[in-house]
Amino acid sequence: MKWRVIGLETNTAYMNMGIDEAIAHSVRTGAEPATMRFYKWKPSAVSIGRFQSLGDEVNVERCRELGIDYVRRITGGGAVYHDSNGEITYSVIAKEAGMPSGIHDSYRLICGWVINGLAALGIESSFAPINDIVVGNRKISGNAQTRRDGILLQHGTVLYDLDVERMFGVLRISKEKISDKLIKSVEERVTCVRDYSGVSQDGLYEALLGGFTDGKDFYMGNLSKEELGQAFSFSKGTYGTDAWNFSR
Amino acid sequence: MKGMARQKVHGGKLLCVKIEYEKSIDKIQILGDFFVYPEESLWAIEDGLIGVSINTGADEIARIVEDIAKAQNAEMIGITPAAIAQTILMAVTR
Repeated sequence: MKWRVIGLETNTAYMNMGIDEAIAHSVRTGAEPATMRFYKWKPSAVSIGRFQSLGDEVNVERCRELGIDYVRRITGGGAVYHDSNGEITYSVIAKEAGMPSGIHDSYRLICGWVINGLAALGIESSFAPINDIVVGNRKISGNAQTRRDGILLQHGTVLYDLDVERMFGVLRISKEKISDKLIKSVEERVTCVRDYSGVSQDGLYEALLGGFTDGKDFYMGNLSKEELGQAFSFSKGTYGTDAWNFSR
Repeated sequence: MKGMARQKVHGGKLLCVKIEYEKSIDKIQILGDFFVYPEESLWAIEDGLIGVSINTGADEIARIVEDIAKAQNAEMIGITPAAIAQTILMAVTR
């Protein structure tokens, strides 16, 4: 399978989600090959899962005060704080036919690419089903997947640096969420690359790029003009609207 | 009346039910960090639970959820019909 790789770029939350959806359209129609992309979020943002309530999961007032955007993803999973300088996000968008048919197997496969990237930095991590990657018992990467009309879309985040106060100032974490984790607080549940390596953020990107592309037939590419137009349209028409973000 | 209950599903994800009811369910939202494929199946499950008597047992509610999920070809990850039923009854009790 041939892959298009779109290198690290920075966009708003709404545009990042719009780009994923636009790529899913073009991969579905065959206009573009399977695609993986790496990106950051500016301004910093919180993304929530498809089935979450924005008001329950996010301190919206605090976000507004701090200039942090918020967006509902099309994927399930939990709320994530995407710091402009504290993480790298990836998306993998491919026809289901070219990926493992089982949800769990496909999580394991793609999370394996993240794990390989971290290993190149000397960080030993492991897949923690359903959708996490951990170092020891601390989460360093969260991942979420959807399948629609024959397309698999998985996105996930790798924590580079951690501003615990900021992260948990905007996320509302219920006590039930960590009730089975044998930890006293959510702060104990997360970790980041900087806890284990002095690598720069660019170095982390290079390592992830290597982990994702190892052994694959790929080329470095860009969004097509059509994809860019669609992404703008999804960004304005869906992801940037209260109707979508406050729909639950 | 309104009710809400939340629980971490054993080996799974966080599940929250918000419900409005009198003798039967008038309005329901099933929320959390779980996965359902295709995602729209969850709206069908919520719609299908409207009108169900609040005196219905957990097994029967789970069966209703399971039947809708099957009809929708839905796959649930991190939650189960039984967990949804249990959380609904918790929300009603509270």
